[in-house]
Amino acid sequence: MIVTKMALPRRTFLRGAGAMLALPLLDAMVPALSALAKTAAKPVPRIGFIYIPNGVMQVHWTPKGEGTDFEWSPILSPLAAFRDRVLVVSGLAHRQAESFGDGNADHHRATAAWLSGVHAWTRRTGLEIRLSTTADQLAAAHLGKQTRLPSLELALESPTSIACDSGADCFYSHTVSWRTPTTPLPAEIHPRVVFDRLFGDGGSAAQRLAQVRKTASILDSVTEDAARLQQRLGASDRTKLNEYLDSVRAVEQRLQTGDKDQDPALVLPERPTDIPGTLEEHARLMFELQALAYQADITRVFTLLIGREQTNRTYPEIGVADGHHAVSHHQHDPVLVAKKAKIDTYHVRLLGDFLERLRTTPDGDGSLLDHSMILYGSGLGDGDLHSHNDLPVLVAGGGSGQLKGGRHIKLPETPMANLLVSLLDKVGVPTEQLGDSTGKLSLDPVPEV
Amino acid sequence: MRGDNLNGPLPLAGGRRPGARGAWLAIAGTLIMAAASGPVGASIERSADARATALTSHRTLLDRYCVTCHNRTLKIPAGNPLLLDTIDLAEVSAGAELWEKVVRKLRTDAMPPAGRPRPDQAASDALSAWLEAELDKAAAARPNPGRVPAIHRLTRTEYQYAVRDLLALDNLPKELDIELLLPSDNTVGFDTTAELLFVTPTLMEGYVAAARKISRVALGDPQLPPIIDIYRLPLELPQDDHFDELPLGTRGGTAIPRYFPLDGEYVIKIDLSGSNREPYELEVSLDGERIKVITVGGPAPSGGARRESSRFEADGNAPLEVRLPVLAGPRTVGVTFVKRTSAANEALVRPFRRGMGQQPSVAAVTISGPYGTVGSGDTPSRRRIFVCRPKTQSEEEPCARQVVSLLLRRAYRRAVTNSDVEVLLPFYREGRTEAGFDAGIQRALERMLVSPEFLLRAEYPPQHVVPSTAYAIADVELASRLSFFLWSTIPDDELLDLAVSGRLRAPGVLERQVQRMLVDARSQALVTNFASQWLYLRDLQARRPNDRFFPDFDDGLRQALLHETDLFFGSIVREDRSVLDLLAANYTFVNERLARHYGIPNVYGSHFRRVTLGEDSVRGGLLGQGSILTLTSYATRTSPVVRGKWVLENILGAPPPPPPPNVPALKDTSAEGKALSMRERMVQHRANPVCASCHARMDPLGFALENFDAVGRWRTNSESGTPIDPSGVLPDGTRLDGVAGLRRVLLARPGQFAMSFTEKLLSYAVGRELGYYDAPAVRAITRNVVLNNYRFSSVIVGIVKSMPFQMRIQE
Repeated sequence: MIVTKMALPRRTFLRGAGAMLALPLLDAMVPALSALAKTAAKPVPRIGFIYIPNGVMQVHWTPKGEGTDFEWSPILSPLAAFRDRVLVVSGLAHRQAESFGDGNADHHRATAAWLSGVHAWTRRTGLEIRLSTTADQLAAAHLGKQTRLPSLELALESPTSIACDSGADCFYSHTVSWRTPTTPLPAEIHPRVVFDRLFGDGGSAAQRLAQVRKTASILDSVTEDAARLQQRLGASDRTKLNEYLDSVRAVEQRLQTGDKDQDPALVLPERPTDIPGTLEEHARLMFELQALAYQADITRVFTLLIGREQTNRTYPEIGVADGHHAVSHHQHDPVLVAKKAKIDTYHVRLLGDFLERLRTTPDGDGSLLDHSMILYGSGLGDGDLHSHNDLPVLVAGGGSGQLKGGRHIKLPETPMANLLVSLLDKVGVPTEQLGDSTGKLSLDPVPEV
Repeated sequence: MRGDNLNGPLPLAGGRRPGARGAWLAIAGTLIMAAASGPVGASIERSADARATALTSHRTLLDRYCVTCHNRTLKIPAGNPLLLDTIDLAEVSAGAELWEKVVRKLRTDAMPPAGRPRPDQAASDALSAWLEAELDKAAAARPNPGRVPAIHRLTRTEYQYAVRDLLALDNLPKELDIELLLPSDNTVGFDTTAELLFVTPTLMEGYVAAARKISRVALGDPQLPPIIDIYRLPLELPQDDHFDELPLGTRGGTAIPRYFPLDGEYVIKIDLSGSNREPYELEVSLDGERIKVITVGGPAPSGGARRESSRFEADGNAPLEVRLPVLAGPRTVGVTFVKRTSAANEALVRPFRRGMGQQPSVAAVTISGPYGTVGSGDTPSRRRIFVCRPKTQSEEEPCARQVVSLLLRRAYRRAVTNSDVEVLLPFYREGRTEAGFDAGIQRALERMLVSPEFLLRAEYPPQHVVPSTAYAIADVELASRLSFFLWSTIPDDELLDLAVSGRLRAPGVLERQVQRMLVDARSQALVTNFASQWLYLRDLQARRPNDRFFPDFDDGLRQALLHETDLFFGSIVREDRSVLDLLAANYTFVNERLARHYGIPNVYGSHFRRVTLGEDSVRGGLLGQGSILTLTSYATRTSPVVRGKWVLENILGAPPPPPPPNVPALKDTSAEGKALSMRERMVQHRANPVCASCHARMDPLGFALENFDAVGRWRTNSESGTPIDPSGVLPDGTRLDGVAGLRRVLLARPGQFAMSFTEKLLSYAVGRELGYYDAPAVRAITRNVVLNNYRFSSVIVGIVKSMPFQMRIQE
C-alpha cells in the first residue's frame, strides 16, 4: 500500500483530498514484488529530454566565453547555482529539419528531428507518417529492461488546430518520442494519469500478483484473436494489427519486469486530480512526478515538451500578454525581443527548479542530479528566422561521473545527432548512427598538454 | 434541354454579385436536371467538331491566362510545378490529379492571382465545367474509393461512446473519465483519420486497465472499493446567478450527473470560497430532491467566537458534508445556494474572480463512496447485460452463453459464432468459480473489451478480390461505417439486424436509417465531434483573452459561446435545415450572459433559448458567433489574417498555401514610430509580393469581420482607436463590406459552400484526407444537395451512398 503522508516536506502546491482512499480502484498493472532488492551499490544511469518550442533569443542565450571560463547569459542565469552540473553546447545544428522543398513546416520538423536527426516529410507523403526510432526510445529499449516503465512521455500543453496547415505538419510536433519509425508515442499532459502509471494500485502483494495473472491470461487470449484476424488481411493491411500485437507483447513484458520494493523514504504527493491552471504549477507537478519516477526507479528515461511548436501560449504570470509564437517572430523589435527572452528565461527557471529537486535527492553516494543526464533544448535555433542551426542546447547532470559540467563548449557547426550519440554512449547504449550523425561528439575536457 | 448543359458550370460558382443569386440558382437547376438524366450518352453522335472547337477554345484560354507562369521554363509553383503548356487537354483522365487542381483553383477564384489578367467568367466557368465533366466520366468508368487502412482503431471518443451504448453506462465517476483512462489520440485534422490512430503500449495498458474498471462498474462488483471524485468549479465561473440544471430560486453551485456504481452510502463534501460574514443557505439535492439545507457563514451559533474568516463550517463545526444512501445507477447531485432577493449581481462587476465577491461560492464538490455497500442494485447497465437470470446452477452456463453472445454481437458489431463465445467462456468460468455468476460475466466482459475485434474496426477483403479494383464492403462493415459516422459509436440493434440479414442496401433502407439516426440523440456526436473539429471549437478551451483588454471574458462566457454554437449546429442537424443556414440564419441561441455580450435585449436567466434575429442583425450564422470570432483572435487583438484563413479553409474549402519561410511579422508602429491600425500594418506586409498573392484572398474576408472584437463583441473602433473599415475587394474584383457583405458574397455561391461542407464531412466519415480522385464523388453529392434545397440530410445521404463510403480498393 502506498502511503501518502509522511514526515518529509511535501510540496504545498500538490493539493487534493483523499488520495490514499482513492487508490484501490486503480488497476493493477503493478507487478508483484520481485526478488530484486534495492541495492545502494552502483547508481543506475538515467537520461531525460526536455523540449522548448519556438527557438530562443540566441543573443541572450549563448554564454560569453568558453570552456570553464564562461559568463552566464541572461536566459541561462537561473542555472548559475548548478554551474558544475551544466554543460552548454553551442554550434549544433539539425539540418534535417530544413524544408528540402517540402513546405514550410519548420516548427514541426524541428520537433521531429530533435531526437531523431531525421527529416520529416510533412507533405510529400501525406499522412503516411514515418520518422525513425528516437534517441530516448533507443535508450528506453535498453535501460527500460530493468524498470517497470521503459520510459515516460510528458507534455505541458495539448495540441490545438488553428495554427495547423493541412497535411501532416502539426502531427510531428505532438511528440519527440518515436518507438519505431511508424509508432509515435503520445505525450501525456494529465498529472493524474502519470501518477497512476507510476504508482498504480495499492493492494497487497498477493492481490497484485493475482491481478498480474489475470491480465496475463487476457493478453494471451487476445493475442490469439489478433493472430486469427491477421490471416484475413492482406499483407499491406497488417500494419495496425501488428501495432496491436506489438503493444500486447510490450505490456506482457512489463508485467514480467519485477516490481521493486517501494523505498520507504519515498514521499508521494497526494494524488493529483486535475490539470493545474497555470504553467508553473503544471510544470512543477510533472517534474515532481518525474523526479519520483527516477527516485523509485520506475523509469530511467523520459521526454517532456514544455510546449508544442508554434504554441501561442501567453504568459500573464511574467507580464507577457502576447502569444509565444507571435513574440518569437520579433523582427528585432526590442520590445518583442525582451518578451521572448523573458519567456525563454522563465522556461529555464522551471528547469532550474527540477534540477534543484534532483540535486537535493540523495541517490547512492551522491544525488539524483549526479546520476542523471538531462538534455534541454529545441530543434529551432532562431525562432524568428526558423533556423535549425546554432541550436539552444544544454546538458545538465553528472551522468554518474561521465559528464563534466561547468563548461561552455563552442563548436563549429556540428550535427546535433552527434551529441545524441554521445549521450546514448554515456548511458551504456552504444549507437553507430543516429539520423544524420557523423560520429560521436567528445564532451570531455581537453586534457592539458 | 440541350446536351451541352452537361458541360455547363457546376453549382459551385455563379452570380458574382449578390443580386445574381436568383439567376445562379436557375443555372444550377438546369444543370442538375441534366446531370440527373444520366451520364453523357446523347453526345456521341454530336460531331467531333464540337469537341474540337471546345478543345481549341479551352486551350486558347489556358495559353493566354495560365501558361504565362505555369510552363516548363518557369516551373511555377517551385518544387511542384504545374505544367500547363505541355499537358494534353484531349486526355483529361490521364492528368486527373493536375486537372482537379486546375478546376479547384478556377472554381474558388484562387487563380489567376490578383493583379493578373483574368478570363471572362463565362469562359472560365466553361473550362471548369468541361474539365469536370471529363473527369467525372473517367471516374465513373474506373471508380477509385481511395485508400483507407483496413484497420481503424476506435478513437478515444468512439471508445467512450461505444462503452456507453454497449453497457448503458453514462457519466461515469471521474475516476473513469476517458481522459484518465486512455491517452489522447493526438491526430491532426479530424481524429477519425485512420492512418494516425496508432496502437502503442501505453494505450494498450490503458485498454487493459479500463476494461477492468468499466466491467466492474457495469456489473456493480460488490468488492468495488470506494471511489473519490473531486469536481472543481472553474475559478472564473460567476456563481451569482441561477444555473439551468438547478432548482429555481437558487444561485450558483453545480449539478453533477454521475453514475453511482453500487447501492450504498455515499458522502458529498462541499468546499466553499468567498466571504462568510453573512449566513447563507446551502442546498444539497439528489435527482432534484432536496436532501439537506446547511446554513453556512454568519455569526457563530450559541454565542461562540466569530468564525475564522474564509472558513466555512456547518453548525457545530462539522465539515460541510452530507452522508446519504444512494441507489446504484445514474443520479444527479445538486449543490447550490438558496437565492436571497437582495443578492447583488456580481457578473456586472468585472473582472470576476471567485472569492472576490460578497457572496460565497462553491469551489469544489467531492463525492465518495460507496461505504457499507448494500448490493449491486438494479441499474440500466445490469438490465442491459442480464438478458437472462439463472435460477438454478444448471441454468447458469446456458444463460452465460446468452449474455455473452449478445454482448459480443454488439461489441464486435457483427453476427456472432459459437467459437466467439467459446473464446470468452473460460474467463466466465474462472470468475464464476472465484466469486459467482456475476463475477464470471464481469471477467468475460473484461476480456471482450480488450479484444482487437472491439477496439479495432476491421474491413476484410472478400475472397478472390481483384487487386486495384474497387469492391463493395460487407453490409456489417457498412453498418459500422454508418454508425461511427453519425453517432461515433457502435450500431444499434436495428441497424445491425438490417446488416446481418442483408437488407441494409435494399432500396430506400439506407435513406430511412439515416433519417432515423439523425433524429436520435446519439447524432449529437456530429455536433460534439464533427462540428467541434471542423470549426476548431476545441481550441476555445485553451484561449485566454487578456483580462486587461477583455475584463469581462470569463469561463461562464466561454461556455456560453461554445453552447451557442453547439445548439446552433445541432438545430441544423435535427431540424434538417439547409446547410446555408450555417452562413446566414435568422436565429441563434443565447442566454442572458451571451445576450448581454451581443447586445440582444430582453433575454433574462441562465437558460439558453432560440431567439429570432432581426433582418439587420449581425449575428446570424457561424460568422457572427463569438466562439469562432474568439478562437480566430489573439489574446489582445483580432487577426484578420487568421479569420480570413479560417474562412478560406473551413467555409470555402480553399485553404491558402502555408506562408513562405522567414515572413516578417506585423509591426506595431510605422518607421516614424506612429501607432498603426491593423489595416495599415497589413498594407505594409502585403507590399511584399510573395505575401500579396495569398493575402489578397485572405485579408478582405478577415477585414469584413473587423467589427467584431477579439471576443466577438460588436465595435466601431479598433484596438488602436481608429474607426473600423470593414470593406475590401476580392481578387476577382468583388467588393464586400462588413459581415453582411461577406454573407452575401458567400451566399451568392451556395454551391461552393455546400461542396466544401461535403468535403469536410466526407473526410470525417471515411477517416482519411481526401484526394483528387474524390472530387467526382464530391461533385455528385453536391449536385444532389443543391437539388434538395441544401438540406443537411441530403449531404449525409449523399455521402453514405457515395462510392468512397460504400467501397474499398485492394492494392
